[in-house]
Amino acid sequence: MASTATPISAVAANDTLVRPSRSLWSNAWFKLRHDRLTIAAFLTLIVLAALSASADFMATNVFQYSFERQDLLHTYEKPAMEPIAYLLGTDDIGRSAVVRLLYGGRVSLAVGFIAALVNLTIGIFIGLSAGYFRGWVDDLVTWFVTTLQSIPTLFLLLIIAAIWEPGPVQLTVVIGSLFWVGICLYVRGQTFALREREYVVAARTIGARDRRIMFNHILPNILPLIFVLAAIDIGGIILVESALSFLGLGILPPTPTWGNMLTGATGNLVRGPWLIYPPGVMIFLTVLCLYLIGDGLRDALDPRVRGHAG
Amino acid sequence: MRTFILRRLLFAIPTLIGISIITFVIVRLAPGDPIRLFTFGSRATNEDIEALRHLYGLDQPLPIQYLDWMLKLVHGDFGQSFIYHTDAAALFIQYIPNTLQLAVVALTIQLLVGVPLGVIAALKRGTWVDGFIRVFGVAGHAVPAFWLGLVLILFFAVQLKWLPSQGILTVGKDPWDFLDRLKHMLLPAYVLSLTGIANYSRLLRTETLEVLSQDFVRTAHAKGLNERTVMFVHALRNALIPVVTALGGILAGLIGGALVIEQVFSWPGIGRFTFAAAIAKDYPVIQAGVMISALLLVVSYILRDIAYAVVDPRIGVK
Amino acid sequence: MSHPRTGRALIAALAASMLVATACAGGTPSASAAPSTAATATAAASEKPQQGGRIVEGTISDIATMQPVLVNDTASGRITGLIYDGLVQQDAKTGEVKPKLASYTTSTDGLTYTFTINDKANWSDGKPIIAQDWLTAVTAVGKSATTVRKSTFQDVVGFNDLCAPASSQCKATASTISGVTIDPASPKKFSVKMTKVSCPAILDLGGATASPMPTQVFGKYLTATSKAADFDTAPENTNPTVFSGPFKFKEWRKGDQVILSKNDAYWQGSPNVDEYVYKVVANSTAITTGLKTGELTFGSIVAKDLADMQTVDSVKITKYQSLGYTFIGWNTASPTAVGLADKRVRQALAYGIDMDAVIKAVVFGEATKQVSHHVPVQWAYPSVALEAYKYDKAKADQLLKDAGWIKGADGILAKDGKKFNLTIATNSGNTERETLAQVAADQYKQLGINAVSKPEAFQGLVTKLTTGDQTLEATIIGWSLGGDPDPYQIWHSSQIPDPAKNVTGFGFTYFKDAALDKSIEQGRNPTDGNCSTAARKANYETFNKILNENQPYNFGYSNNVLAVSQKTLQNFAPASFSTIYNVHEWWIKK
Repeated sequence: MASTATPISAVAANDTLVRPSRSLWSNAWFKLRHDRLTIAAFLTLIVLAALSASADFMATNVFQYSFERQDLLHTYEKPAMEPIAYLLGTDDIGRSAVVRLLYGGRVSLAVGFIAALVNLTIGIFIGLSAGYFRGWVDDLVTWFVTTLQSIPTLFLLLIIAAIWEPGPVQLTVVIGSLFWVGICLYVRGQTFALREREYVVAARTIGARDRRIMFNHILPNILPLIFVLAAIDIGGIILVESALSFLGLGILPPTPTWGNMLTGATGNLVRGPWLIYPPGVMIFLTVLCLYLIGDGLRDALDPRVRGHAG
Repeated sequence: MRTFILRRLLFAIPTLIGISIITFVIVRLAPGDPIRLFTFGSRATNEDIEALRHLYGLDQPLPIQYLDWMLKLVHGDFGQSFIYHTDAAALFIQYIPNTLQLAVVALTIQLLVGVPLGVIAALKRGTWVDGFIRVFGVAGHAVPAFWLGLVLILFFAVQLKWLPSQGILTVGKDPWDFLDRLKHMLLPAYVLSLTGIANYSRLLRTETLEVLSQDFVRTAHAKGLNERTVMFVHALRNALIPVVTALGGILAGLIGGALVIEQVFSWPGIGRFTFAAAIAKDYPVIQAGVMISALLLVVSYILRDIAYAVVDPRIGVK
Repeated sequence: MSHPRTGRALIAALAASMLVATACAGGTPSASAAPSTAATATAAASEKPQQGGRIVEGTISDIATMQPVLVNDTASGRITGLIYDGLVQQDAKTGEVKPKLASYTTSTDGLTYTFTINDKANWSDGKPIIAQDWLTAVTAVGKSATTVRKSTFQDVVGFNDLCAPASSQCKATASTISGVTIDPASPKKFSVKMTKVSCPAILDLGGATASPMPTQVFGKYLTATSKAADFDTAPENTNPTVFSGPFKFKEWRKGDQVILSKNDAYWQGSPNVDEYVYKVVANSTAITTGLKTGELTFGSIVAKDLADMQTVDSVKITKYQSLGYTFIGWNTASPTAVGLADKRVRQALAYGIDMDAVIKAVVFGEATKQVSHHVPVQWAYPSVALEAYKYDKAKADQLLKDAGWIKGADGILAKDGKKFNLTIATNSGNTERETLAQVAADQYKQLGINAVSKPEAFQGLVTKLTTGDQTLEATIIGWSLGGDPDPYQIWHSSQIPDPAKNVTGFGFTYFKDAALDKSIEQGRNPTDGNCSTAARKANYETFNKILNENQPYNFGYSNNVLAVSQKTLQNFAPASFSTIYNVHEWWIKK
C-alpha cells in the first residue's frame, strides 16, 4: 500500500508491546506536556479544523460570498483587504480564494478523518479476528492482505476512481476500504502476542466469551499506538487526495478541496501566483501537524522508550 | 530455511490468482467501451466496431474472457495491445528499467539522508536539534509531491537553468551517457525519496531511542565506554534490523509512488505508461502492467521475509 | 471528409495532460490530422538556409504506430506524415486540394480519378514510387482486421469484393480491386473508378491516410494467402525501413521520443536539418517549460501560458485558428430536461450566455465565438450573415417565457409543474472544459435554470454519447474537423444513435431536419455530379443556416492554436490545415 502504509507496516514489523501499566495514560500525558512541538502541532490542527468547520458561518457573515459564486469581471484579483472576500484574491473564474479555502478544508479534512475512521474500523476488526482466531481465518486474511498489498496502490486507486465518478463520499469510501492493510497487520501482530499473555489466558479459562476477550482485554492494550497510526494515516490520505486531484481523478470542482485548489493553482501559476500558497500551506501544515502528533504520541505512549536520562 | 522459502513461494500462487481476479474485475467493470473509445471520431461503422470487439474477444461473457486470459497467461501470453498492436507485456517491460533506475537512486538518497537524521535526532532527544530534524524529516513528505516537483522545476530548470526540466536524457545524447542521465534524475529522485527520508528518520529515531534505553547499552555506558562507540557498535546495528526488513515494502512504495513524479517530470516510466493505458482503456496493457508490477512486489516481499528471518534471530524460521 | 477527428488524439491528450488539459484535439500542434506537404515555400527565406541541426517538437502523446493504414490518432499521424507522402495535400491556409506526390484529373462525370505520380518521386531505397504502391496501401486497408478505415474506400468499384472479413460492406471474394486500373504504358499512372459521385473522395483516395506504401516491404504480408494479422502485426509497422517522406525513421524510445533522420533521397530535395525528434512530455506545462528552457524547438501551448510566453525573448509565437470548436450539445430528446426540445429554449440558452466573457475567462480571449458548424478558415464557412446570438439576457428571459417557462417562488423556472433542471456534463481532466461547464452552469442559473456542471470520465462519456444513452442532458465536448467540410457523420439523421435498432453514431443531439439532411447529401453526393466549391458552398450555407436557427448545439467557440517556436527556427509557418507541409525547407540559424 504505497506511500501511506509504509510507515505503518514498518511499525508493525518491530513492535512488541508489553502490557501497559494503569498509569500509562497519565504517564503519557506527563510526557506530552513537556513535548512543546507536539503541543504546538496539536493546537495548530485544532485551529485549522475550527476554521474549516466554520466555513458556512464565515462565508455568510464575514466574507458574504458563497463558495460557488463566480464573477467573470473580477478574475485573478490580487489579495486585498477590500472587499474582505478578496483576502486571498480570486481564482480563474472570480471565486473567492479564502472562502473556497475554508470549504476546501472542510472537505479535505472530512475525507481524511472519515476515511481513516473506516480504515481503523476495518483494520482493527479484521486484524483482531485474524490474530485471535488464527487458523483458517488468519490464512484467509493473510491471503487477502497480501493480495491487496501486492497491487501498487495508486494503480488500484486510479482504476477504481475511473469507475465511480469522483465525489467526496465515493472517495472516502474507496480510500477507506483500501488503506486498512497496515493497521490490520499491526493489530494482528499485537493480538498474536497478547492472546498468550497470562491475563488473557486467565480470562479464557474462567469462560469469558471471545468477543469480550477481544474487545475488553486485548483491544485496550493495542489502542494507544493505534492513535499514532491513525494520525499518520489521516495525513497520508490528505496527500493521496491531492495526488489524485493532480492526476484528474480526485474530487472535481465546483466542490473545493485543498487538493483540487492546489492543482488548479499550479495550472494558473503565471496568472495568479498567489493562488498556489494558501492550499499548499494548508496541506503542508495539516499533514506536518498530524505526523508530529503521531511521533509525539508514540514517544509518550511507547513504554519501551523511557525518558532519556539527562 | 529451504522449507520456509518453499512455503513462501507456494503461498505466492493464491496471491497471484487473487491479484488477477481483482485486476480483471476492476478493469472490466469501469464504464465505457474501449473499442468505442479509440474509434471515437473515426469513420469506423457500427459493424467495424462489432468486428473489432469480436477480434479481441470482448463479445464473450466476462468469466470466459477471464479464463481465456488466464489460460494464455500461463503460457506467458499477455495479449496484444489494442492501440499498439504489439505484445502487451513486452511493451510494459520496456518501461521497467526507467522506473527502476529512478527508484534505486531515490532509495540511495533515502538511506544516506534518512538514517543519519534519525540517529542524530535520537541522540539529541529533546533538544532543538531533535525538534529541527523531526520537522525537517517530515516536512518534505508533508508537501504534495507534484507541487514540490513543479516548484523545483521552476527554480532549478527555468530560473537557474542548472538542471533539465523533463525527460530522462537530453535529446541527441547517447543512452549510456550516465552524467546526463544523472542530471535528469536528480530532481525526480529527490522528490521521490522524501517519503522515505521521513519514514527512515522517524523509524530510526524510535528504534535508536528504544535501543538506547535497553540494558546492554546502559551497561556499556556504565562501563564507561564513550558515547560514539556505544552508538555505532551496539545501538545502530540493532536499530538497523527493522530498516532492512522495511526495504521490501518501501520498494513497493517507490514503484507505486513514482506515478505522480513521472507525470511531473515527464519520466517515461511504468506509472505513466500504465496510467495512459488505463485512461485509454487498453485492457491487455493495464492487465499486463498490474500483473507484472504485482509480481515484482510479491518477489520483493518474499525477499524481505527471507531477509527478516535471516537478520532477526528473534523470529524463528518455521 | 469532414468528420470528427477528436478520437485518440483527444484521449491521448487527456491521458497525458491531466494537469492542464488542452482545448480539443486542436490543442495538440496538428489541428488537422492529415498532414500535408506543400511545395510552396514561405517566402521569408532571403537568407541561404544553413544545413544541420535538430528540430525537437514537444508533444503530450506518444505515437501508437507508424503504419498509416492503422493510424487513428494525431501523434501517429504526425510521424507517418513525416515519413510517407500522400498523393495530394491541402493548402495549409485555405484547405484547397493540391497535388503532392501525384497530379490528378477528374473525369467529366465525376466518377473517375486519374493520378500520375511525379517522375522524380523515389523511395528512400532508390526504387521509384509507382501506382502499385498505392494499391498496396488500399489492399492493406481491405485486408487489415484492425484498421478503422474500410468505409473510406467503400465507393471504389470493386473494393468491397476484396475487403475482409465478410460483412454488410465487405464480400472478401476477390483478390484485386476491379475499379483501379494501372496504365500499361506507365507504372506511375493509374485511374480509380467510383460507384457514385462523392465530393470528399479525392482526399480519401489521395490524402495522407492513403499514402502509397512500399510494395517491396509490405507486399509479402498482403499475398492471396496471407492472414489479416500478418499485416496488422508486421514488424515494419513499428520499425519502418523504406520511406517516401522528407524524413526516415531512426529510433522509437517508447514514451519518450521518436527520432527521425533526414531522407537525402527525398523527391522535393533533402531537408536542411539532420534530425527531427518528436519528444513526448507529460503535460502542457512541461511543453511551456521546455520551450522556455530551449529543450524544445517548437510546440503548442495552452492559452493560460501565453502571457508568460510573451515575456520570453527567445521564442516566436504564431497564432492561427484551430480547425475545430468546443460546444455544448443539447439533447433535444431528453426525457428529463424536456425544455431542450423547444427551439425557443435553445435560442434562449444561446442569448443567455455571455460567450465573449466566457472566452475571456476560460481561454483568455484566445478563441472566436462560433454560431455555425463550419469554422471561418474553412471555405464552407457561410458568407451570408448568421444570427450572432449576442448576449442579451432580456431576450433570453422573454424566449423562455414564450416557451411557457415561468419562474416559481424559489426563482427556478418551471412548466407544467416541472422544474427546469439541467446537468451539463463534460469530460474530466480537461480543465478548460471543466471551467467552461462551471461558468455556463452559473450563467444559466441566472436565467432561472437549475443548472449544474458534472465532469465525467471521457471513456464513459464517449460510450454514452455514441450509443444513445438518454441520461445526458447537455454535454460539452469538442470537434476537430478533418480536411473536407462534409458534416455527414455529425449532422445527418442517419447518425442519430438508436439503441433499439443497434444504431450508433455522433448524432447525440437527436436533432432531425429534412432540409438539413438534403443539404448534407447534396454537398456530399450531388445528384448533378457537381463537386465544385461554389456548388457545395451553397449547400453548406443552407446547412449552417438551419443549425444556426435551431441551435441543437450552442456552438461555443473555436480556439486559437498558439504555436511557439525558437527564433532560430526558420521557415516555420504553421497554419490551420497543416504545420509540417514545408518541413524540408525549415532550417536552424546558428
